[in-house]
Amino acid sequence: MTANRTLGRAMRTSAAIAGMAWAMHAPLHSQGLLDALNEAVEEPTLPVTATFKDTRIVNVQSNETPAAGVLHFVIAHRFGTLSSGAYDLWGLDNAQMRMAFDYGITDGLAVGIARNTYQKTYEANVKARLLRQSTGPEAFPVSVTWYSVMMANGLTPPTDLTPYYFTHRLSFVHQAVIARKMNEDLSLALVPSFVHRNFVETTEDAHDLYVLGLGGRYKLTQRFSINGEYHHFLTEAFDQGFSPSLSLGVDIETGGHVFQLHVTNARGMFERSFLAEPAGSWANGDIYFGFNLSRVFTMAS
Amino acid sequence: MKFLFVSLLALASLHGAAQQFMTRAGHVHFFSETTMENIEAENAQMSGLLDAASGGFAFQVQMRAFHFEKALMEEHFNENYVESETYPKATFQGAIENWDAGWNDGEPHDVVAQGTFDFHGVKQERSIEGTLTWNGDAWLVEARFPVALEDHRIEVPAVVKDNIAPVIDVDVRATLDPR
Repeated sequence: MTANRTLGRAMRTSAAIAGMAWAMHAPLHSQGLLDALNEAVEEPTLPVTATFKDTRIVNVQSNETPAAGVLHFVIAHRFGTLSSGAYDLWGLDNAQMRMAFDYGITDGLAVGIARNTYQKTYEANVKARLLRQSTGPEAFPVSVTWYSVMMANGLTPPTDLTPYYFTHRLSFVHQAVIARKMNEDLSLALVPSFVHRNFVETTEDAHDLYVLGLGGRYKLTQRFSINGEYHHFLTEAFDQGFSPSLSLGVDIETGGHVFQLHVTNARGMFERSFLAEPAGSWANGDIYFGFNLSRVFTMAS
Repeated sequence: MKFLFVSLLALASLHGAAQQFMTRAGHVHFFSETTMENIEAENAQMSGLLDAASGGFAFQVQMRAFHFEKALMEEHFNENYVESETYPKATFQGAIENWDAGWNDGEPHDVVAQGTFDFHGVKQERSIEGTLTWNGDAWLVEARFPVALEDHRIEVPAVVKDNIAPVIDVDVRATLDPR
């Protein structure tokens, strides 16, 4: 009796072990090897790329930086106001130009220089990716990129202003681009900016200004998107009744080029101009047609 | 006696589950050759599973883990061609024909894997030739096969038609260790 009971218990135990072993083994056959592989391999954390096609949305920086060893060359134009009429061919006779070279030192750090015909302004800038949107087990919701630019006005000094030092020419903008690729088509960016101008026109004008920008792009096809951006003044004391900058445009990608065509009420293409002194007003038809044309050159890999 | 038998059965069953070989770091490389330019990319994160009991075979690769010489190529690959956001992985699931567990003799064996290749949302029945070698601890798998872009609904715009080959050469190399 006792021996039988012991044997029975042993049999039940071993049957249970066999059952467990079978249960562990069996799903591999019923689900297929691919599912077994999916269970065994954890999904990697991968960065989200190409939130925007270019390093700018229209005027403002996007979160993108040129890749390591890539020289990013941009030629941009803003024509005269559309309201200037047929005599100026709706502004095409009055082009402002910006020529810029940005170089990627690493995949997340770039430096650049630029020259604008508008106010003969020179720029030196640095752009650094601080955080990157990613998917997977260590997912992160947004990309954060820092941008700082120093601008130097190159115009002949006003004769009634002495002394006029080099520092009078300088202005600075620091901004964070907080961007998220919502899905394959829609990307949004929030861009808080701080503008400092060493020299302002009147005593009422503020040296320090805060601006909050919102930008985005929506892809209509693989190589075509509509883009827009708006910058809201957070500082009250705004000089000369500037209206906030609003720009709308499209990105067209063709191989190594990105063409950005747009309309904007900002005359200049450097940050102080389009954030703090946009010059035109949409309500008055002071809208400038323009384009950015970028080309990348791989210098080192 | 019965106890011993059932226990042995349980052990045999466990042993069967262990007869699987796996990798998380297989290499995939592809090459597009045209007179205009050559484009190639590497991916060292291919995962694969081989069931040594049946010859069953599965591989998968994350499209976003392919790296190119030029950053812009990588962006275009993911954004415009393979659409990695929509189709994050390419997979192969099938079996090795005439599987023989006795191939673990250290010699390279020419094999044919018959199965389903799923890439860019298009499933295709493929038979892929390769070699299988047992190195004493692990199975070494090597294979080379062509992928026609047209078969997988990958559209190449007219302006870059001369830069991208219509058929891409893919080669795979992996060491599958016991699981």
